[in-house]
Amino acid sequence: MTAALAKTEIESALAHRFGAAFQHREKRPVETLPTGVNEIDALVSGIPRGAITEISGAVSSGRTSLLLSALAVATRQEETCALVDCNDTFDLLSAKTAQVDFGRVLWVRCNNRLEHAFKATDLLLQSGGFGLVVLNLADVAAKCARRIVSSWWFRFRRALENTTTALVVITPVACVRSCARMVLEVNNEAAVWFETGPLALKSDDARLRIKINREPATTNTRHLSLVTGSNQNGSPGVRLPHSRLFRGICVRVNQERPTTWTGGPVKFSTHVYI
Amino acid sequence: MFACIYGRAFPERGRDAVTLLIDLAFTFSPLVEQTGTDTFVLDVDGQELLFGPPLSSGVRETDWGLNIANEITRRATLSDLKVHVSIAANPDVAIHAARSFKGITVIPAGEELMELGSLPLKMLDYSLAGIDQKKAEEIRDTLGLWGVRTFGDFAKLPIAGVAQRLGQEGVRLQKLAQGKSERHLHLFQPPVGFEQALELEHPVAELESLSFIFARLLNQLCANLNSHALATNELLIYLKLEDKTEYKRAITLPVPMRNPKTFLRLLLMDIESKPPQAAIIAVMIRAEPVKPRELQTGLFIPVAPEPEKLELTLARLAKLVGPENVGSPELLNTHRPDAFRMTKFRLNYRSGKNAGNSPRPALGAGKMPELPAMGFRVFRPPWHAEVQSMQQRPARINACGASSSYGIRGRIICASGPWRTSGDWWRIDLWARDEWDIAVRSSNSEQSDVLCRIYRDLQSEEWFVEGVYD
Repeated sequence: MTAALAKTEIESALAHRFGAAFQHREKRPVETLPTGVNEIDALVSGIPRGAITEISGAVSSGRTSLLLSALAVATRQEETCALVDCNDTFDLLSAKTAQVDFGRVLWVRCNNRLEHAFKATDLLLQSGGFGLVVLNLADVAAKCARRIVSSWWFRFRRALENTTTALVVITPVACVRSCARMVLEVNNEAAVWFETGPLALKSDDARLRIKINREPATTNTRHLSLVTGSNQNGSPGVRLPHSRLFRGICVRVNQERPTTWTGGPVKFSTHVYI
Repeated sequence: MFACIYGRAFPERGRDAVTLLIDLAFTFSPLVEQTGTDTFVLDVDGQELLFGPPLSSGVRETDWGLNIANEITRRATLSDLKVHVSIAANPDVAIHAARSFKGITVIPAGEELMELGSLPLKMLDYSLAGIDQKKAEEIRDTLGLWGVRTFGDFAKLPIAGVAQRLGQEGVRLQKLAQGKSERHLHLFQPPVGFEQALELEHPVAELESLSFIFARLLNQLCANLNSHALATNELLIYLKLEDKTEYKRAITLPVPMRNPKTFLRLLLMDIESKPPQAAIIAVMIRAEPVKPRELQTGLFIPVAPEPEKLELTLARLAKLVGPENVGSPELLNTHRPDAFRMTKFRLNYRSGKNAGNSPRPALGAGKMPELPAMGFRVFRPPWHAEVQSMQQRPARINACGASSSYGIRGRIICASGPWRTSGDWWRIDLWARDEWDIAVRSSNSEQSDVLCRIYRDLQSEEWFVEGVYD
């Protein structure tokens, strides 16, 4: 009690010299943008606005599926979105299947030039007004991703503060480091082939799993399952039916800087096809 | 009340004097009629508050008319214009008075004939009554034969007799002479110039110097637009070059704007991207006037980029990565793989009124798929691959993109296919191929399996990797 009074006295004495430096700033509740995957949204409430979210993983780990889902939800909510595509690998057919509204997506193709991708992202963030900005570095070499100077990430984080823009960075390895508000590490656990004759795998493998770990590393891991399906639509502009390809996706979520893992077990239904 | 300004010795002064006279007229009233090149009529009703003496002083109505006439004369003198000014309750009376009497003439209502009665008939302007010249001369000759010489003589003739002998034209002319004609002013709309031009004393070859010239012209242009409550959605730039060629650029804006700073940046970036081949000796900027943007925002509409900022950002992005690499994608109506085109990115607005009628759909309701769609990353251009087949199925693959950071090498542990697709057989760039979905297990145990789509081109019999599932 005495200490509290002393603190108050000191603060009132110095208030005229330091202005609002001692005043308690009320933390605004974090607004989020849903990812479209109900299980992830239930667990982490979606992609935080005004911050950087990193989705990292190897090739064929499910990063793009997650991204398309988030883009589809954002465009459906009439958000203006921007996709900075470093390696020009954005596939329009799969995006259309995911129901992404192209009229609300600004696509910037950087033709394998990493510097252009960062400059373009910076321009978009400084412009303001976008609901979701995606920096797609998925096909950048891991060693290049690790060498990205932190000043870019700090600059992005500063530009995003107090805005409603969510920046999602897709990387091969986690490289945004402490500037990311949330990190989703995506891993491919299993794949199954449907209607492929003798090459079909057992049904036990035919499921996708998302592992969300928000606890310290020593605690139990949590598992989510997710099923994705390839396009079955044959309308003009859409690919003819392909094989149904299912994969296991493991997602690890880090919402606290730098390495504190929190979360609870979530179990949900497996795939519906098998 | 109407005021008429008649410019004396006008033809010698040329076009500048007409412009000055128009400006002078619009200084006093927005309702101006240009009766002739040297005659302007103004509706000055309601200006007693500006030019009249206090009402308590008990002055007559004509006194504030005299004040207006004095003020018009004073300002005309300042502009080095010699004018006759008349004030009357009837515009035609004011015109005849201004043309006939020197200096200032104020004719109170009801005293028109008293003032104009002595004027010769040749001063009667038949065009004010809408009578053609031939008929007017015929009437004038007839009146001359009757011995009618002045306005007063003509006015005293019995109307029935005039109508019987001269017809309706005669009646209209008589009313004109009596000062009893009734008509509305044919309002003069000054030509709106949304065009600014400047000829330079010395050729300008640097963009920085040019920016000052552009800024000046754009400021004037936007001020003009602003004064007319208009905006523009297209800017046209004409530059006359030193090598006697013309440089033209057109900047189309997604929404009407009138911000000179935005225009200046867009112009400079546009010219920087395609600079003229020689120094500039003259600049002309023209704006297409349109109604300004009307947008009612709503509480439940997501924040969108400001159009001005977005346009600048798009211009900067186009400068950075090339205009063909920025925009909204649009799928083409074909089965040809990866067929799309880029279109200009435009904001999709939803007004607050519409927002109220069609509320934002709730998440998860309706059309959203229950399961996320399979993501795919397409390689542009596709990677050339070496594929070993076994029992007519791909067994091993070795592929690496020219600009890629990784390759796809190893044993194919699972394959699904082939799906044969082809199209455009009537064109040179026909396509026909067998597609396979494969899972590749690398010899490096640390790497996870790569799921990709490969195809064999049936024309060249070569294998390619189209992309990876991700």
